[in-house]
Amino acid sequence: MEVKIEKIEDINIFSLEGNLDSNTSGDLEKRLIPTIDANNTKFILDFSQLHYISSAGLRVLLSAAKKLNQFKGKLILCSVKKDIKEVFDVAGLMPIFPIYDNPEEAARKILQ
Amino acid sequence: MSSSTGTKIELQILNKIPEIERVCNSITTFSRQHSIDEKIISNLYLAIDELLTNIIRYGYRDEKDHTIYVRCTIEKELLTLQIEDDSYPFDPNKAPIPDLTNDLENRKIGGLGIYLVKNMMDDVKYVTKNGKNTLTLTKKCTIN
Repeated sequence: MEVKIEKIEDINIFSLEGNLDSNTSGDLEKRLIPTIDANNTKFILDFSQLHYISSAGLRVLLSAAKKLNQFKGKLILCSVKKDIKEVFDVAGLMPIFPIYDNPEEAARKILQ
Repeated sequence: MSSSTGTKIELQILNKIPEIERVCNSITTFSRQHSIDEKIISNLYLAIDELLTNIIRYGYRDEKDHTIYVRCTIEKELLTLQIEDDSYPFDPNKAPIPDLTNDLENRKIGGLGIYLVKNMMDDVKYVTKNGKNTLTLTKKCTIN
């Protein structure tokens, strides 16, 4: 899985490409956690190129969200494919990870 | 190693994480060949991934190679997946159900994998006997 990182003003946009599973979730964790530790509080995860997520991926996201929560930070998702949205729904994670249709909408919301 | 006859596929893998994707892909291909609905295939992929990850990651106390058998049968609109291993027994039906209503601070990180599996398959049965564990999952599917 590829993780592309872009920073626009103080918003960190992580674009994931491929599968977020037990093989690859460590890669995301290695990039995400240090960025949070470096006092970044606004995160948009762009899932437009993400094809699959398993509980290993959910675990990294939840762990990151908990960490951010301590600093009143926000982590939101955008462009989530239907199958992946279903996984979030079944896992009861919709209230924790707001999902927006595209990065522009997500950026507007995160700045509010 | 894998063999496929008509409505059954059988795979044999070692207890290594990189093997999981191979099983998921093989069973996906097999299911597509039998015109199984894409949504069910997607759920099946996740279930196999979650279950094999648990077995491989948490099921063995030694550093040795172990064989895991995965069989998938499609008969009369019923898909049956069976995973047979010799890992430390763990019955998914006895796993605690995560609380999905907690707020972020109190939300537990573990337990989601099994919960997703139980949600996506119709039935999950677990039997352990003489050091061998057999997990059998079924899913009713309409053939397209």
